[in-house]
Amino acid sequence: MFIARSEYDRGINTFSPEGRLFQVEYSLEAIKLGSTAIGIQTSEGVVLGVEKRVTSTLLETSSVEKIVEIDKHIGCAISGLQADSRTLIEHARVTSQSHAFNYAEPLSVESCTQSICDLALRFGEGAEGEESIMSRPFGVALLIGGWDEDGPSLYHAEPSGTFYRYDAKAIGSGSEGAQAELVNEYHKSLTLQEAETLTLRTLKQVMEEKLDAKNVQLSSITKDKGFRIYSDEEMKECVGKLEGN
Amino acid sequence: MAAMMQSAMPTSEPGYSFSQAPQSVAGGPRQHGFYPYTDNGGTTLGITGSDFAVLAGDTRSTSGYNINSRYAPKLFKIGGTGSANEGARIVLSVVGFAADGNALKERLDTVVKMYKFQHNKEMSVHACAQRLSHILYNKRFFPYYVHAILGGLDENGVGALYSYDPVGSYERETCRSAGAASSLITPFLDNQVNLKNQYDPTSGSGLEKVTKAPQPLSRQTVEELVTDSFTSAAERQIEVGDGLQMFIITKDGIEEKYMELKKD
Repeated sequence: MFIARSEYDRGINTFSPEGRLFQVEYSLEAIKLGSTAIGIQTSEGVVLGVEKRVTSTLLETSSVEKIVEIDKHIGCAISGLQADSRTLIEHARVTSQSHAFNYAEPLSVESCTQSICDLALRFGEGAEGEESIMSRPFGVALLIGGWDEDGPSLYHAEPSGTFYRYDAKAIGSGSEGAQAELVNEYHKSLTLQEAETLTLRTLKQVMEEKLDAKNVQLSSITKDKGFRIYSDEEMKECVGKLEGN
Repeated sequence: MAAMMQSAMPTSEPGYSFSQAPQSVAGGPRQHGFYPYTDNGGTTLGITGSDFAVLAGDTRSTSGYNINSRYAPKLFKIGGTGSANEGARIVLSVVGFAADGNALKERLDTVVKMYKFQHNKEMSVHACAQRLSHILYNKRFFPYYVHAILGGLDENGVGALYSYDPVGSYERETCRSAGAASSLITPFLDNQVNLKNQYDPTSGSGLEKVTKAPQPLSRQTVEELVTDSFTSAAERQIEVGDGLQMFIITKDGIEEKYMELKKD
């Protein structure tokens, strides 16, 4: 007997007879509406880049915050519902500080990602039987880049609570095209500067607006400088290097 | 801390806390007492070298003039796998109140084992030292009545030793003795490990004298210093004796040595 989707897509903790959790699947759709974000790992560090959707000429572009610092050595690019990311980022920051406080060492990037994913699943009960704290899954995906004792790493975390490590990853509305471009262009010997250019070039291809120094944002995580958001001058320089800009 | 533990002379009274009968004045109020701590005596010692750390402790457990046990270890492997702590690289020594020492060991061991599951790597001694400090401070107002010493190898393979007071204040050191005979052993270590009051014999006299600079000791020298410290302490301190347990931590793991001490 065919059971209509609508009967099972309301309860967030109820499997459909086909074994699906519709609300989780819908949350993945929410990310596909979000702006494109790209992360590339190189041997010199990780580059994170996002498109900023400038919906009005009167919009102050610096107030669109889609790349944030989690700790000195970990940064994060966001796609999806920005407000949801605040909860996750706050949690990651607290986890990172608490780890440094307790163990006098920086939190590893994988453990940081794991802590975010633990929270992402709290729309059900917690792992230790904690009460459910949210009414729905998060509508945001994160690219988490960092530098720890094992060197640079890049992770992709989803609302479903799963995470994977990537050499290069694109999320958001332009992710399909961008990911195909990254698969073609990525190689292990990319320099940080080449990764910056590849990020911008890929964003340029999938963005609806014309790319300029105001509607994209780059950041990097390196061993020496840690996490760093590029200044307006640096953005102009990077965009200037692109062909046709 | 040390003063608190040593000020009480051994008595014929049992050492446990419920022993005191209520004190009363005829017809007046009765005063009851509950003392949650006991001093179980004993001494611990740690010395580091350039590629090893040695932790040692006697195995006697006392309360007052009584001997509870002639083999109650004060040294514990921390981390590794299972209750035998196979593959552990960190050793904790605790002296003071044995029950608190055991409780502390259990907690730290659990933390180190959980850390490995959570972060897919062994905990460094540096990280473990910080965690132990917090565990102790978390009981700031009902402390674990112990003087802890933590030993292992640091990220460069150099011997590392961290010593603690009961409320978690800690410091990395090359050498430390704690417990009943620490006042006997410490000046010996000052002289033999840190070369205090030792001068270069060729350097003249008076103000011309040049102090000797401490050098990393060989493993054999350290083991000899440890056994000498404990045989001497067992001569003079009645709470020290029965057996000497020694853990030597190297890059190959933890080696255990045991020798007899005076049983009187």
